[in-house]
Amino acid sequence: MIDGVNNNLSVGPVGGAGGRVTAAPAGASFADTLKNSIQEVSRLQQDASQAVQDLATGKTDDVTGVMTAMEKSDLAFKTLLAIRAKLMDAYEEIKNISV
Amino acid sequence: MAGFVDRLLRDGNAPLLEQTLRFTAARHRLIAENIVNVDTPGYRQKDLSPAKFHALLRDRVEARRAGNKSAAGASEFDDLRAEIESPRRGILFHDGNNRSMEQLMADQAKNAMMHNMAVELLRKQFASLEAALRERL
Amino acid sequence: MFDTLDMGASGLMAQRTRLDTIAANIANANTTHDAAGRPNPYRRRFVVFAAGQPNDPAKAGVRVQSIKLDPSPLQRRFEPGHPDADADGYVSYPNIDMAVEYVNALEASRAYEANVTMMEVSKAMINASLRLIA
Repeated sequence: MIDGVNNNLSVGPVGGAGGRVTAAPAGASFADTLKNSIQEVSRLQQDASQAVQDLATGKTDDVTGVMTAMEKSDLAFKTLLAIRAKLMDAYEEIKNISV
Repeated sequence: MAGFVDRLLRDGNAPLLEQTLRFTAARHRLIAENIVNVDTPGYRQKDLSPAKFHALLRDRVEARRAGNKSAAGASEFDDLRAEIESPRRGILFHDGNNRSMEQLMADQAKNAMMHNMAVELLRKQFASLEAALRERL
Repeated sequence: MFDTLDMGASGLMAQRTRLDTIAANIANANTTHDAAGRPNPYRRRFVVFAAGQPNDPAKAGVRVQSIKLDPSPLQRRFEPGHPDADADGYVSYPNIDMAVEYVNALEASRAYEANVTMMEVSKAMINASLRLIA
């Protein structure tokens, strides 16, 4: 019976942080999604920083554009922080599962 | 430790915004003096040019990007100085004063908006850093 | 930044003195005798401003340097029956033109308001800066 259980489950190898933790079919892995999100947040932050710099040095007059860019980057960053918090909580929970 | 925090605060937009605040405060003082002396015979209006200040700031930003690292601790923006000039615009009245109340009011309003905007942006910069440090929202 | 409030206060005081002088002119527009009751027509007065605070001329601000008498000629009206009439029957009245005084009063009050606005803007800017640590 124990052998049967071992044969039926097809859990993938447990990799590093963000490795496949579900029996997912082929496609975008969670690691890739996370990496893209981080890059997106970084890009938005650089855009916002550049926009603020342009406004401060007088290159642009577009205050609304700068404020929008800042708000977008801020929102993206906070979303990433929230995801990270959730991941940490999930990791803590899994770590505390006594086998 | 102090050097690391220093770099963190120096490499972003905080130094630019701090200099902007110094500029708007200085300009407001000049505009205030002009308004107060609007009926003083022989008084010439004083001003600081925002265009020249922006140009100075742009040059410093370029210098920073080009990698001219100044001595440890000093920021490229610390010694920014703008010159007080006497604009030649406006009518010279019989009492020797080249006042223009409308121009003064408009300049004052624009300067105040620039000041408030810089304060908000600076506050946002510090708030983002704090959020990242706290690791919480 | 706080010295702009001192500058504004000096401006308010100076414009107020100017308004007081104008009010005195308007009130005495037809005064032909002086305080002692002798025939001595009132002469128009005007203020002269100078830069610098009243108590420290080196600091930025404005002060009343002096209140001068207007040297322009007095008005002469033909009133032969008047007790103060001279040999030709003319009486000398103060050299005050109401229209000029009204316009000056309007300008003084406009400058007064501008000073008040400037002080309000100063306060707003200082309060905005305080929000940095809020």
